[in-house]
Parts: sequence; C-alpha cells; structure tokens
Amino acid sequence: MNAHATALIADDEPLLRDALRRQLASVWPELEIVAEARNGREAVRLFDQRHPDICFLDVQMPGLSGVDAANHIGRRSHLVFVTAHDHYAVQAFAQGALDYLLKPVERPRLAETVSRLKERLQSSRPAINTEQLLQQLSAQLARLQGRGKGEPLRWIRAQAGKTVRLIAIDDVDYLRSDAKYTLVAWRDGGTPAEAVIRTPLKELLEQLDSEQFAQVHRSVVVNLRAISHVKRHDNETAEIHLKGRHDVLPVSRNYVHLFRQM
Amino acid sequence: MSELATAARPAGIIAKTARRVAVALVISTAVGLLLVIQWKGPPSSLFLRTTIIGLAGTAAFSLFEAWPRRLPRWLQRWALQVVAVGVSMPVTTLLIYILATPEGAPPFWKDAARMNGWTHLTIAGILLAPWTALAAIVRQKEAFARNQKLAFALERSELERQALDARLHLLQAQVAPHFLFNTLANVQALVDAGSPHASTVLRSLIAYLRAAVPVLHETAATIERELQLVRPYLELMQMRMPDRLQYAMNVDPAALKVLCPPTTLLTLVENAVRHGIDPSEEGGRIDIDIERLGERCVVRVTDTGAGLDQSGNGLGTGLATLRGRLQLVFGDAAHLRLISGAPRGVAAEVDMPART
Repeated sequence: MNAHATALIADDEPLLRDALRRQLASVWPELEIVAEARNGREAVRLFDQRHPDICFLDVQMPGLSGVDAANHIGRRSHLVFVTAHDHYAVQAFAQGALDYLLKPVERPRLAETVSRLKERLQSSRPAINTEQLLQQLSAQLARLQGRGKGEPLRWIRAQAGKTVRLIAIDDVDYLRSDAKYTLVAWRDGGTPAEAVIRTPLKELLEQLDSEQFAQVHRSVVVNLRAISHVKRHDNETAEIHLKGRHDVLPVSRNYVHLFRQM
Repeated sequence: MSELATAARPAGIIAKTARRVAVALVISTAVGLLLVIQWKGPPSSLFLRTTIIGLAGTAAFSLFEAWPRRLPRWLQRWALQVVAVGVSMPVTTLLIYILATPEGAPPFWKDAARMNGWTHLTIAGILLAPWTALAAIVRQKEAFARNQKLAFALERSELERQALDARLHLLQAQVAPHFLFNTLANVQALVDAGSPHASTVLRSLIAYLRAAVPVLHETAATIERELQLVRPYLELMQMRMPDRLQYAMNVDPAALKVLCPPTTLLTLVENAVRHGIDPSEEGGRIDIDIERLGERCVVRVTDTGAGLDQSGNGLGTGLATLRGRLQLVFGDAAHLRLISGAPRGVAAEVDMPART
C-alpha cells in the first residue's frame, strides 16, 4: 500500500511547493507526488483526474481557497492543510481532527503527520468525517478576510461613465432615495459632487455606522459630521443645513427628537 | 447625538426650572419696588402679588413650551409662548383680586384704591412679561446653537483620536506575522535547496525589516523612505509569486523629499497585492507612479489584478486608516481616490500637498 501512496500538493507559491515536495521525498521516499496545483481550482481539477490518496492544501490560495477545494474533495482523500501563522485558522485546525502543517514546515512535525497518514492508509480507514469542520473553517476564513457581516460599510461603489469610483463613506454628506435610485451627495476632494447608485437606501442604512449616519426622513440619511446647523421649525419639523453645500434637508416629525434642544 | 440630548435629562430640567423661577422672582421684586411708592396697602401684599404674577407667567411659558405636542403649521411655538405669557397677566391679576376680596366687601372694581392697584399690576405685567418671554426664547436658541457647536467639536476630537488609534493599529500590523512566516518559509525553501537566490531574498527581507521597524516610532516619512520600504517588499512578493506578479516604478526625482504619513506608499502597494494580485489566479502587474506637480505630489498605484468586484468588503481596511491619517496631517488638502481600472484592476491615488 505504502509504495503506491499518491499525493497532490497545492500551493500558490512555487518555492513552497518545491520545498514540500523535497521534504516529503526525504521523509517518505515511497510517496508519489502525482500532481501540483497553483490554486484551488487547479487542485480540484487535478484531483478529479488523478484521485490521489492524500492532498496537501495551502489554505490561502487565489480563487478557490484550500478549504473550498477540500469541500469539493470531501472524504475521497486524506486532507492535510498547510498554513502560515494565522492564529485563528490554526486554532480551528487544532480544535478539529483535521491535520495541518505550519509554514515553514518543520521536518519532525512533517514526520509525525506522515506516520499518521501511513497508519490511516494501512488500516484503510476512510478519511474522517470532515464536512462540519470544513464548514466551520470556511466561516472562520471568511471572517478573517473581512467578508463577514456586521462590518460597517467603508466604501460605496458608484458608476461614473465607464469607470467605477469608490466613494469613502466619510466623504458622503447625505443619501437620498429617489423612485429607483439612491442619490449619493459626497465630496470629491472637497468639492460637492453627486452620484447615483442602485442599492436601495434601506439596504445601505443597515450597513452604515449608526454613530455617524442618522436617518432624518423617510428618504434621507445624513452624515452627522456634514451638518452645519439644524433649524427647528415650531411645527415639530426641522431642516438641516450642511457645511459647504446649499442643499437643505428635511427632518420629519418622527426624527426631530434627534435634534431636540434642552 | 447624545450630547444634544443631555439637556433632556431630569437634572437638566430641574436646573432649567430653577433658573426660570429665579429670573421671575428677580423681575417681580423689581416691579414691586417700582410700584410700592404709590401702593396703598401693606408692601408685603404687593410683593406677594407680583411674585404670584411672575410665577404664573413662568408657568404659562413652561406649559406651552411642550404642550400641545403638535402645533398647526401656521402657529409658531415661540409666538404661542409669548402670547400665553401676555394673556396670563390680566387673568392672574383678575384671579388674585377676586380671590383676595374679603367676604361681604364690594368687588374690587368698585373700590377706587384696589381698582388702581389692579390696573397698575396688570399694565406692568402686560408690558413686561411678553418681552421677558421673548428674551428667554432668544437666549435659549443661542444656547442651543452653542451646545450644538460644542457637540460637533467633541465629535471632531473623537475623530482625531480614532485616527490616532488606527495609525497605531496599522503600525503594529506592519510586520504582520503572516507575511513574515510565509517569507521565512520561502527563505528556508531556498536554503534547503541550496539555491543561490537565498541570500538575495534574505537581503530583501533584511532591507524591508530595517526600513519597517523604525517606522513604528516616526510620525512623518519621505517618499524616498517609503521607497526603501516598498522596493524590498515588492522584491519579496515577486520572489513568492514569480509567475503572478510584475511591477514597475516610475518615480519623479523631485518628489523624493516630499513628506507623507509613514507607510503611505506601502499601504497602497500592499493593498494592490492583497486585494488585486493575491486573489487573482493569473495575477497581474503593479505600476507605481510618483509625480511632483508644483505644489502637489501625486502617488498612484495601479494594478491589473482582481479588481473591485471580486475583492469583497475586506478591501479598504488599510486604505480607510490611510485616509484617516492623511486627513489628520493635511486636513482637506489631501485626497485618496480609488478608481476601477480598465479592463481590470484598481487605481489608488493619493494627491497631497508637496511639503518638504
């Protein structure tokens, strides 16, 4: 069995692929590396072609990540993750039964992993049930890369002709919803500018930092830092005057309490 | 927001009421002193009456400040308050004189002396009270404006503190363990393989660390210094992804001495690598253009990587803190622009005053 063991190595950094191949050759000379992949997508494709017994997967790869590739491979192969120092990811691996190697890979640690793999292959035990662990890992990775929810919005993407501008949220004076679009009134290097986006105001509002932005009207959300002063009308409404802009924003009755005086 | 609302707390209401009552007492005592010369009865009864009238006016003012909760559009609240205070004057004096009439005595308007007293009090009240109310409203509006100004000043200083925090975080993360260990893994690989490149790579790493570590203590850097940081960084990254990263630098020598917040250029380049090149299977090219145009300096980093659509929300943590730091140093005179490239990638541009 050992003599026929096959493996796949996936890492986007060629030097690290070479290094792992060399280290494996000295620790486990019988192991045959049947495929080397440069990213997750290639790993999946090569796995489907060669069906290696073992897959060494770098966690962070362009396109499909190592964890994504592992999700595809599932229990058809023994998985070993390889990762650089990443406190959270390492913690996740350590908690689960998944095998992992830290970069730079140390030979004694690799030898341990290899003997574990040999044992599993010999007893022809199926790879451990990994689905739930992989799901947790995916979530963890997404959080690491800041793709998680709950992060306040930092940039608004707005189309201007053929180019897409990223408008920093701090530059936005106010947002006003029209029938179909949302108007973004912002400052392009200090000068007032306007852009139109398709994202509904309600959806934007959920992602905005409530310390900085306040809804003051059914269709208006204002950056509190952009307010020059608030004029209260005695009929329980008010209007907002902005710094360096002539626009006057309405404050409807339901929101006038935000600017209540003593 | 919260600063604006503080005045609505109970303590604020008590202080406000106490202030109003004090003003009413002072004014009614002053009116009493004016009228006492020709007052026919005991002075204490006069002062008691002016005090009651003053307090009644205060009560009317406070009552219509909040009630009714909603007013018709044509009616301004300040007008309602002034009118209410004015009307409260004859009503109160009338009540006082009717209630103070002893049983069996004729009504006060049939007693010349009492009628005279009533007239004086009423006229003094109608003349004085609405003006006092008006003055109070004006004062209050001014205080509100002042409060608001203060609240904004507070917010600004909070913003500055946040920017400072952000800078600290960025500096701490500069020599990120992930970057360091990945690079060291590469160095190890080269050494193990006996590659002649090993020492070149080590030299780049040392140059990067030597430039990065002092940055932790500095508050200003120059473009030249930034390049000392960015060159080895790009060399290292290219060693790690030789098939996916190309780069070129085009630096105007006149820009070398221009001052900028530390890690300005590195943040732009790192962002291009992390959000442009790294997530892209094919990789791409990074172009660094630094130009001095008279009084301004433009630093542009263009990549042909993954672009805005694929980079997700994580884009911009570094750029957002960079924005904050530029704002802190240059105020509104510096801009950070992000534009999607054609056909792919992102151009990030810092346009700042060329101080040396």
